[in-house]
Amino acid sequence: MPDSGYPWPIETTRLDNGLRVVVSEDRAAPAVAVNLWYDVGSRHEPDGQTGFAHLFEHLMFEGSVNVAKTEHMKLVQGAGGSLNATTNPDRTNYFETVPAEHLELALWLEADRMGGLVPALTQETLDNQRDVVKNERRQRYENVPYGDAWLRLLPLLYPPGHPYHHATIGSMADLNAAALTTFQDFHRTYYAPNNAVLTVVGDATASEVFALADKYFGALPARESIPAAPDGRHVPGGGGPVAETVTAAVPAPRVFVAHRTHAFGTPGYDVLTVLATVLGSGRGSRLYQRLADGERIAQPDLVGSYGVDLAHAPAPLIATATARPGVSGERLAAGVTEVVDELATVPVTAVELDRAKALLSTGWWRQMSTVDGRADTLGRYATQFGDPAVAAERLPAWLAVTADQIAELAAEMLRPENRVTLTYLPEESA
Amino acid sequence: MSLIADRPGPGLARPYRFPQVVRRSVAGGQVVAAHLPGQNLAVALLLLDAGAGREPAGREGLGAVLAKALEEGTAQRDATAYALAVEGLGTELVTGLDWDSFQVSVQVPVDRLPAAVELLAEAVRTPRLDPDDVRRVRDDEATALRMDWANPGPRADAALRADLFGAENRWGRPMYGDPDSVAGLDPEDITVFHSEWFLRPGTLIVVGDLERLDLDALGAAAFAGTGGGPVSPGGPIDVSLRAGRRIILVDRPGSVQSTLRLGHPSPHRAHPDHVPSLLAGTVLGGAFTSRLNHLIREVRGYTYGIRGEFASSRRFGRFAVSSGVQTAVTAPALVEAVGEISRTQVGGVTEDELAVARSWRAGQLSVELQSPRAIASALTTLVVHDLPDDYHARLRESLLAADVEEVSAAAAGHLHPESLTLVVEGDAALIRDDLAATNLGEIVDAVG
Repeated sequence: MPDSGYPWPIETTRLDNGLRVVVSEDRAAPAVAVNLWYDVGSRHEPDGQTGFAHLFEHLMFEGSVNVAKTEHMKLVQGAGGSLNATTNPDRTNYFETVPAEHLELALWLEADRMGGLVPALTQETLDNQRDVVKNERRQRYENVPYGDAWLRLLPLLYPPGHPYHHATIGSMADLNAAALTTFQDFHRTYYAPNNAVLTVVGDATASEVFALADKYFGALPARESIPAAPDGRHVPGGGGPVAETVTAAVPAPRVFVAHRTHAFGTPGYDVLTVLATVLGSGRGSRLYQRLADGERIAQPDLVGSYGVDLAHAPAPLIATATARPGVSGERLAAGVTEVVDELATVPVTAVELDRAKALLSTGWWRQMSTVDGRADTLGRYATQFGDPAVAAERLPAWLAVTADQIAELAAEMLRPENRVTLTYLPEESA
Repeated sequence: MSLIADRPGPGLARPYRFPQVVRRSVAGGQVVAAHLPGQNLAVALLLLDAGAGREPAGREGLGAVLAKALEEGTAQRDATAYALAVEGLGTELVTGLDWDSFQVSVQVPVDRLPAAVELLAEAVRTPRLDPDDVRRVRDDEATALRMDWANPGPRADAALRADLFGAENRWGRPMYGDPDSVAGLDPEDITVFHSEWFLRPGTLIVVGDLERLDLDALGAAAFAGTGGGPVSPGGPIDVSLRAGRRIILVDRPGSVQSTLRLGHPSPHRAHPDHVPSLLAGTVLGGAFTSRLNHLIREVRGYTYGIRGEFASSRRFGRFAVSSGVQTAVTAPALVEAVGEISRTQVGGVTEDELAVARSWRAGQLSVELQSPRAIASALTTLVVHDLPDDYHARLRESLLAADVEEVSAAAAGHLHPESLTLVVEGDAALIRDDLAATNLGEIVDAVG
C-alpha cells in the first residue's frame, strides 16, 4: 500500500485578505495549471434563483475592468492555453493550463475577474449568456433521451428547501427572470478572496507564485461575512421507497436506483467509493456479471454505478441499467434492486475487493498524471477540508476498506426506505 | 478596487520538448516508445492496420463488433475470468477504431504493465470467437447503436457522410456502421476479419518510465504467434465536390434544437497544406474564440457552441461544422454560418486572428501532451502517418512560422461554401418553410 496518494511537494500560504494559495511544483512538463475554487455553488441558491451560480460562471468569461468582452478566452488561447470552468451543487471552479511563461497572465486574468467583474457586467452580456445557458439546457438535458434523469432524481432524493433539491442548470423560468442586479450582488457576496482557493501546479516555484499572488490578488478586499448555504447534513426521509416512472421518447426502458449515503470526504464515503466500484464498475462488477452477462436483461455498455462526490450532505449512490430488447422496466428495476440488496447479504470476496481497489488506484493516478488534474484535486481538498495535503490520504483510505465495512454500509444505508427508483419507459410500450 | 491595469507579458519561454522516442524491431513487429521518467502509470497500446477503412462496404461495424467480442473469452479463459484478470490489474481493455487503425490499450501502474500486455495480446491474438457469443455481441452492438441513434447527431452525420462520399463506398458510410449493417453481420464475417487483420504483428506503443520497462519483453508478448507483413493502405481517394449547395432535412419531431452538420470534402492527411489548413480551420471554427463560435454563440446566443474544422485520414478528408441551435433560429443560424464560411474563403484571415490560432495550436502541444494516454495517442499519429520522431517539435515550428498569406491561401483553396452539404436534423414541420426561404439550396428529405 502506498503511504501517500500525493508524492509531490505542497506549499501553502494565506494572503492578508484571506485568499488561500496552494502550490505544487513539478518541472516534468513546461506547463502550469492555475485553478480557482470558489466556495459557492447551486446549494447557495434561494428559491426562484435556480441556475444562477452556473449562469454567473458564464458571465465570468465576458470581461472585467481591465479585460474587454471576449478578451479573456482570446488571451488564454493566444497564450497556447486550455481553459474552462464548471459549477456543481457544492462549488464553482475556474481553471486554465498554460505554457509556464504565461503564468503571470493567468493570475492577472483571474484577479481581474475576482475583483473587477461588476463594473463590466452589462445587461447585453447577461441576455446573451442567458440564451447560451438556455441552449446548454436544451442540448444537454432536454433534447437527448434520459437527459433529464439527474434533474428528476435530485428532488426525489432531497426535500424542498434542501440545498441539493434542485439541479445546478436551474429552471427556464428562473433563468428568464434573472435580473442584472441579482448577479451584481451575487458577485459582491461570494467572489471574495476569503471565499476562494488559488492553486498552481507545475513549472513554477512556490515563492514565485506567492509573490505573484500577492501582487495581483493582495489588494482585493476581503468580505466580512459570507452567507452560508442552508445546512443539508441531515436529510429528513427514510419514509419508505420512492418511485417515479416517466414515459418519454426513449429507445428502451432504463432505471436509476439511488440511495443517500455519506458525504464525500468522510470515512463512510471511502467505503461507499469502493462499494460502488464493486457494484458497478467494469465487466467484473456485480451489476455487469449478474444483469448484462448472467441474466442478460441489461445492455452491457449501459450498466454501472457510481457515487456523486458531493461534500455538504449525504451524497447519492446511483446504480443504473438499460433494458435489453424485450425486457420490461419492472423486471430490470427488480434485477438492479436485487443486486444492490445483496451487498448487505452476500459478502464481497477478496477477488472483488482487490479488483475494485486496483481500478480505483489506476483512476487515482490517472487524475494525478496531469498538472490540471492535480490542481483541481488540491483546490478541492483545500476548499472542502481546509488542507490540500489531505488529498494524499484518499487513496490509502480506499485501499484500507474491508469487505465487512462494505456489508455494514450496505445494511445501514442501502435499505428500501432510503431508496429512490426512477424508471424511464418508451412511449409506445406505455 | 485595487486591480493592476497593465496586462503582464510572458516570462522566459521554456524550450519545447516532446518525450524521447525509442523505436525497436522485436519479434517481427515494431515497438515505438516514449520515456516519461518518474511517471507512475504506463500505457501500452497495440496499433493494428485494421481500421474502418479495411472493412468491406456493406459490412460496416465489423471492427466495432470484433472489439467487443475480444473480451468474450480467449483460448485460455472464459469471459468472466478474463475480465477479473484484466481488472484485477487495475485496467480495462480499451478499444478504439478510426478510419486508419484499430487500437487496443491498457493503462496500469508501471510494474503491472508486463502482465497487462500479456492479457492484451491474449485477447487480440487468441480470442475464442464462439459463434453464439459473437451473435449475442453483434445483437448487443446493434442495440447499442439503436440507442445512440436515438440521440440527435448520428443520423445527421450519416446523411452528411453519404452525401459527401457516396453511400456505395465504405468511406461514405458511418465509421462504426449503423444499426442495420451491424445486425446483418455473420459470425463468420467477424472471424474472417480477425484472421485477416488481427494476426499481423502491428505496432506496440509503450509510454511510461522506460527505465522500469523491458521493451523487448513487451514486444515479444505482443507479437507472439503473429505473421504476415504490412499491406498498402492505398492512395488518396479522389472525391469530387458537388456542383451546388443542398439542404438535407432529417426529421426529428419534437426536437427543441436543430442539429447542424455542414461539410464538404477536403484534402487527405499527407497533403502539403495540412498546417495552413489546420490554422485556417482554427480561425474559422476550431477554437472557442473562432469566428463561428463568436458570432453564433457569443453575439447571437443561438447555441451552446459551434465548431468547425478540417479532419483528415490517410485517404480522404473533409471540412465539417457542427452545432445544435434552438429550433426557432435554425434558418438564421444556418445562413450566418454559411456566410462566415464564405467570408473566410473570400477574405482570408487577419494577423490578429492567426496570432491567436498559431500560439494556441503550438501551446497545446505542451499543455495537452502530459498524460501517458495523451503521449500514446501522439505516438500513434507518428506511426499511422509515417512521421519522424521529432515531428511534434517540427509541427510546432511550422505552426509558429505560418503567415497570413499562406493560411488565407489555404482558406481560399480548401473552403468551398458553394459546394456545402447542409444537413439539418430537427422538427421538420417547424423549420422546413424557414429553410426554404433562405434560398441556400434545394431541400432534400433524408431517407430512413
